[in-house]
Amino acid sequence: MTMLSLTINGRAVGPLDVRPDLSMNDFLRERLGMTGTKFGCGAAQCLSCAVIVDLDDGTSVTKPTCVAPALDFNKQKIRTVEGHAVNGVLTPLQLSFVEHFAFQCGYCTPGFLNEGQVLLERLEREKVAREDLERTIMEALDGHICRCSGYVKYHQAVRDVILADPSRFLTA
Amino acid sequence: MRPSRRDFLKLASVCGISLSVSPVASAEVPDVAARETLPGRGVSHPALGRVDGVAKVTGGKLYAADFRAADLPGWPATTHHALLVRAPDATHLYEGLDLAALPPEATPTLVVTAEDIKRIGARVPEFYAGDLFCPVGTTPLYLGQPVALLLFETFDAYDVARVAFRDGNLLKFGKETGPRTGANYGAFRFTRVAGAEPGAPDIYSPLQEGWISPGFVDSGSGRPIWRVLPDEKGPDYVKGAAYGEAIRAELEAVNPSVLTLDRSFATQSVDPMFLEPETGLAWYDPAAKKLDMVIGVQSPFEAAEAVAHLLGEVQADHKPGAVNTRFCYVGGGFGGRDHTPFPLYVALAALFFPGRPVRLAHDRFQQFQGGVKRHAFKMRSQIGVDRKSGLITAFAADHVLDGGGLANYSVSVAVVGATGAIGMYAIPKVDVTTVAEHTRGVTAGSMRGYGTLQTMTALETLVDEACTALALDPIEFRRRNALKVGARTMTGNPYSVSVRAPEILDKLQTQAIWKDRAREKAAARSGFLIGTGVACAAKDYGTGADCSLGAVSIDPQGRVSINSDAVEMGNGIGTALANRVATHIGAIADEVTVAQIDVFDELELVTSGDPYSISQADQDQAARDPHWVPAISSATSASIGAHVGTQAAAEAARVVFRFGLWPAALALWGVAPRDPRAERWTEAYWQGETLLFSGLPPLPLKALAAKAHEQGGVTGAMAHAFSRWAWAEATFALPEGEWSAEIDALAVRRGSGGYQRLDRKAVAFPPADYNRIGTAFASMCGTSVRIEIERATGNLRIAKAYSVLECGKTLVPEVVLGQAQGGFAMGVGYALLEDLPPFEEGPGNGTWNLGQYVVARGSDLPLHDLDIEVLPPLAANEPPKGMAEVVMIPVVPALLNAIFDATGHRFYALPVTPAMIKGVLA
Amino acid sequence: MTMNRRHLLFLGTVLTVSVLTVGIASRNGLATPTDTPANALAPPESFATIADPAARSAAYFTELGKVLTSPRCTNCHPATDRPRQGDARRLHQPPVYRGVDGMGLASLRCSNCHGGANFDPAGMPGHPAWHLAPAEMAWEGRTVAQICEQIKDPARNGGRSLQDLIEHIGDDTLVGWAWHPGPGRMPAPGTQAEAKALVIAWVESGAACP
Repeated sequence: MTMLSLTINGRAVGPLDVRPDLSMNDFLRERLGMTGTKFGCGAAQCLSCAVIVDLDDGTSVTKPTCVAPALDFNKQKIRTVEGHAVNGVLTPLQLSFVEHFAFQCGYCTPGFLNEGQVLLERLEREKVAREDLERTIMEALDGHICRCSGYVKYHQAVRDVILADPSRFLTA
Repeated sequence: MRPSRRDFLKLASVCGISLSVSPVASAEVPDVAARETLPGRGVSHPALGRVDGVAKVTGGKLYAADFRAADLPGWPATTHHALLVRAPDATHLYEGLDLAALPPEATPTLVVTAEDIKRIGARVPEFYAGDLFCPVGTTPLYLGQPVALLLFETFDAYDVARVAFRDGNLLKFGKETGPRTGANYGAFRFTRVAGAEPGAPDIYSPLQEGWISPGFVDSGSGRPIWRVLPDEKGPDYVKGAAYGEAIRAELEAVNPSVLTLDRSFATQSVDPMFLEPETGLAWYDPAAKKLDMVIGVQSPFEAAEAVAHLLGEVQADHKPGAVNTRFCYVGGGFGGRDHTPFPLYVALAALFFPGRPVRLAHDRFQQFQGGVKRHAFKMRSQIGVDRKSGLITAFAADHVLDGGGLANYSVSVAVVGATGAIGMYAIPKVDVTTVAEHTRGVTAGSMRGYGTLQTMTALETLVDEACTALALDPIEFRRRNALKVGARTMTGNPYSVSVRAPEILDKLQTQAIWKDRAREKAAARSGFLIGTGVACAAKDYGTGADCSLGAVSIDPQGRVSINSDAVEMGNGIGTALANRVATHIGAIADEVTVAQIDVFDELELVTSGDPYSISQADQDQAARDPHWVPAISSATSASIGAHVGTQAAAEAARVVFRFGLWPAALALWGVAPRDPRAERWTEAYWQGETLLFSGLPPLPLKALAAKAHEQGGVTGAMAHAFSRWAWAEATFALPEGEWSAEIDALAVRRGSGGYQRLDRKAVAFPPADYNRIGTAFASMCGTSVRIEIERATGNLRIAKAYSVLECGKTLVPEVVLGQAQGGFAMGVGYALLEDLPPFEEGPGNGTWNLGQYVVARGSDLPLHDLDIEVLPPLAANEPPKGMAEVVMIPVVPALLNAIFDATGHRFYALPVTPAMIKGVLA
Repeated sequence: MTMNRRHLLFLGTVLTVSVLTVGIASRNGLATPTDTPANALAPPESFATIADPAARSAAYFTELGKVLTSPRCTNCHPATDRPRQGDARRLHQPPVYRGVDGMGLASLRCSNCHGGANFDPAGMPGHPAWHLAPAEMAWEGRTVAQICEQIKDPARNGGRSLQDLIEHIGDDTLVGWAWHPGPGRMPAPGTQAEAKALVIAWVESGAACP
C-alpha cells in the first residue's frame, strides 16, 4: 500500500492508502464513490472514464482513468463530471449538451464533457480558424465512443458553444 | 402456436415471495427512486432538453453501475464483490477451478458452483433453460457459460482475482468431447398464396390457417425437413408446405418472361455494445428474509419474476420472503438487456453471501463473453420478377440462425426475421422457412432490428440486383411493388397503421443524393470511385402483446408527477412521457419516474395464460374478472416506447383533465353543469400552462389544480393499457359520468386522497386470433448514401447520407432525430466494421474488447452531411409510431448497394471491409 | 504488482528456450541460426560458420530482422500516420495520429493514455517517451532487406550513425519495452542485450544488407 493525495474538483483528497495496482477508475468509483466517472471498456478504447488533469503550466489534458494506476495521479489536480457546474449553474458546454439533446443513455457523457471542456479551454489559448473548426472538434472527440447518438449532436453542441462566442475561440 | 416473446411466469405463481415492497429512505441518503425522479422538484433545469438532461451532464447517480451499498438507505455500508467466472471452452470436460494459482490475497471467501445451486433448490426459469453453472465433469453448454461465482470480502481481493482469471488459465479442462449438441430452438414456415385478383381472399395464409412447423428433423444434421412428408402429426404442415413447394417449383422453372435470382447471404454476429456493462447490486438480509436488488434491464417486470422463480423453491434457510428490486436508468440497451440472465446471478451472489451487500459487474471482456448477441444468419433467397411489368411474382427464402447456447429469444427472432423477409413489398406468393439452431456460441437474443435487419438486408440487396438485371430504376421498382394501403402482408393481414411508401419514395427520388448520382459518379477524383445506393424498410414495432403502466398526478400548485413502468435506456421515454402528458394537462412534469413496477398496486391487476397463445374462450372467461389483464408489464423493446410506453400515462392524464381540471375550469368560469358547454371539454386546449376555451377567459394551470384539489376532483390517475395489434378498450363509471378509453384498468385519486381502483363496466380485448398476425404495426424508412472508395486501399468514406422516415406524431422531435442518427451509426458499424467470429475465436473466449471489435466512431460517419427527414403525421391525431429499429435497417443495404454501384461487385456477407473491397478492385 | 499467470507462462517459455539452446550447443558445438526458435535470437557466435564476411554481416541483420519486423516494433514504425496495436497488428483504437512531433495530435496525445510504465491490470503499455517513429522510419510492411537499407540511411534513420544504431536498439529504454510488453503481448524475440550483440556484430562486420 502507498499513500495517495490529490485534488479533485478543487477539494483535497487523501492521503489514502492504495494498492499500487489499483486503477484510478476504481479509486474514484470504489474508494471515493465518485461514479460520475464511468467504466466502459477498461482498455482506453471508449474513453468514457476520462477525467481532466490540470497541469502546472496552466494547460489541461484528459486522461482515461481505467488504464492508469491511481498513484499516477498523486499530487495532481483533476476535474470530473461532478465538478463542472458550480452551485448548480451549468457551464455553457453542459447547457449546450442538454439543449442539443446531445446524448441519449448518457453513459458516455462525462467523457465527452471533459474532452469538450478541455478543447474549449485550449482553443481559448490557441485559437483556430473557422474552417478548421469541425476538423478540430473531430480530432478532439474521436477517441470517445457513443453507441446511441451517432455523434452528430455532440459535435453540434461543442461547435455551437464556440460559434456563440467566436472571438474567444476562433482566429479573426 | 405463437412463440412467446416473453416467458410469462405469473406473479400469482411466485410461491409466496412478495415482489412489491415500499422503499424506506433515510433522511441522509436518498433512495434510488428519489435520485431517479427527474428532473426533480425545485431543481433548476433548462426549458429545452431531456428530463434527465441535467442529471446526465452533472454525473448524477443514475445507472446500476453507479450504486454501492453506501448509496442505499438502510443498507450496511460496505460493498462486497462477486466475480462470475465463465468457460472459454465448450469442447472439453470442465474439471474445476485452479484456485491455488490465485495470488493469496485474491482468495475468494466463497465459491458458488452448480452443486451449490442444486443443493439449495434454485430453479432455472424456463426462458433461461440450461445449467446456470456448468457442473464439474461436464462439457460447457456454450462458450462463456458461467462455471462459478466467486465472492470476495474486499474490492482489492476481487480485483486481483479478476485480472488473474483474465490473464491466466485458472479453469481446468480435461478430455476433448467436442461440442454438446442440442435440438433446434424452433422452426417455422410462412407461406402465403394470394387470391387471383387484388382484394380476393388469400388461397393460403398463416392468418387463415395458423402457423406451421415441420414435423421431422434430419437425424444427421438435426435440421428440419422442410419438404412435404406424409405427416400424421401435422396435416397443417403438409397443407402449407405443399403450397410452399409449388412456389419453389415455380421459381425453379424456366420462364423467359420472369427474371429469377437465387442468392445466398450471410450476416455476422455482433454485440449490442451498450456502454454500461451489465451490473447489479444486491443484499440479502437474513434477519428480515428480504432480498434487495439494484439492477438495470429493459424488462424489469420479467427480471423480478425470473428472480422470484429462481428462488421460489429454495430451502427455507435461504429463501427470501420478499424481493425488492430497484430498476435504474440503463446505459444503453438495444435489446441486449431485454430478458438477460444477468439478474439471476446478482440474486445468487447476494443469497450466498447473506448479510453482505454484494456487487456483480461485468468488465468489457466479460460483457463480450457473456452478453446476449445478435444472431448470425445464413439466408438463401429466391425472387421472381416479371420482366415486362417489373412486378415481383414470387419470393422464397430459407433462414438459418445461430442461436448460441441458450434459447433466449431465438425462436422469436427467427419468426420476426421471417415475417419481415419481404420488407415493404406486396408479393402474391411467398414461402419462407426459418430455423434457429442451438450451437456452442454465446447466446443470441434480442437486438435492434430483431432478425429483420438481417433478412431485409438480404432482400434489399437482392432487389437492387434485380433492378440492375432489368435495367429498372430502383426507386421506380419499389414504387411498383410497394405494399398498398389495405393490402396484405405475408401473414395475410393488412397493416392497421399508415405505411407511407409513395411519399418515402418520392422523397428519396427528389433528394440530391439520388438525383445527382450520375453526375457525382462521373466527377470522381482520380484514384477514387463514387457510388450511390438506396434501400427501404418497413419494420414492425410492438410484439403483439404489449402493455403499459402509467400514473399521473397533479398537486395543488399545478406540479405534475408521472410514474411509468417503461425503461429509460437513452430512448427518451421520460421526456416523451412528459411531453405527451403535457398535451393533456398543460404542464411538463417536474417529477418523472420510470422503470417502476411496484407503484401500481392499487390497480390490483391479475393475469393468467400466455397473451400470445391464449384461446378466445379462455380470454373471454378470464376477462370476466375485472382485475384480469392479458399481461401486466412489458419490456421496453421492439420500438414500443412512444406508442405503448406512453399510452397508460397519456390516458391517465386525460382522466385527470376530464374529471379534475375540467370541472375545476367550469367552476372558475362559473359555467353551470347543465350548460351545454360543460360537455365540450374536448374543445379546450392548452397554450403552455394556460387552458383556453373559445369565449371564456384563459385559466392558468395553477388555479385549475388548486381548484381541483379544493373540489375533491380527480387529481391523479393510474392506468394499464394492453395492445395486441389493437388496444384493449374499457368503460369505467365515475360519479361524473362514464369514461371509455383505450385502457383496461384505472384507479383515480381525488384531492390529496389515495388511489381507488374502478371496476370496468365493459371491456373489449383484441381477439385472440390476432396472435396469427405477424405484425399490424410498421413504420417506414428509406436511406440513400453516396460513398467514395479509394482504389489503392479500398477505404470507404460516406460522403453524404439521407434518411427519410415516418412515425406518426413525434413526441420529442429531437429524440426521434437522435435515434435516426444513432441508427445510422449502428448501421454503418454493422455493414462495415463490427464482426464477432463464431465459437472459439469469438467473444466467448473472453479476450474480446473494443480494440478488436470496432464500432463506428465520429470519423466513420458523415456528421455534417447526414440529412434526416421525418414526415409530418398524416393527421394531427395520428398516434406515435415506433421508429428506433427501422432507422437502422435501410442504412445497411443502401451501403452495400452503393458499394456495388461504385465497384461493380456485390458482396454477400457482412461486414464489408476495406481489404475485401481492395481485393475486388485488384 | 501481482505476478500473474501469463507472466509465469512467459517465464516458462523463456526457460524452455534457454535449455533448448544449450542442448543444441552441446550437440553441435554451436547452434546455427536456423535452429533458433522464432521467439529467440541466435548469438553472433553462431554465425561463425558463414565464411563470406558480407554474407555473415547480412545474416546478422536477418537475425536482427526478427526483432525489427515483430509487431512490437512495426506497430509504432507504421507506414501511415496511424499506429497499429496488438500481436494482430490491427489499427490502433482509438484512432490516433502521428501529429507534428510523433506524440499525437493536440487533443489525443500518446501520453494521455500511455503512462510512464506498463499498467498490467489493464493490459496497458507505457513508457515515459511513448511515441511514434518518424514517418521516414516506417517499417510496417517492409522486408528485412528494405529495412536494412533504410536503417543505414541517415535520411531515413533519424540522422543516426551506425554507432548510434547500436545504442538505439541496444540501450534505448523505449526500444527495450519491446521485450517487456506486459501481459497479452508477445515480446520481441530474444533479449535487448542479444539484439544489441547482433547490431554490434553487424556494424563491426561492415553492416551489409541481406
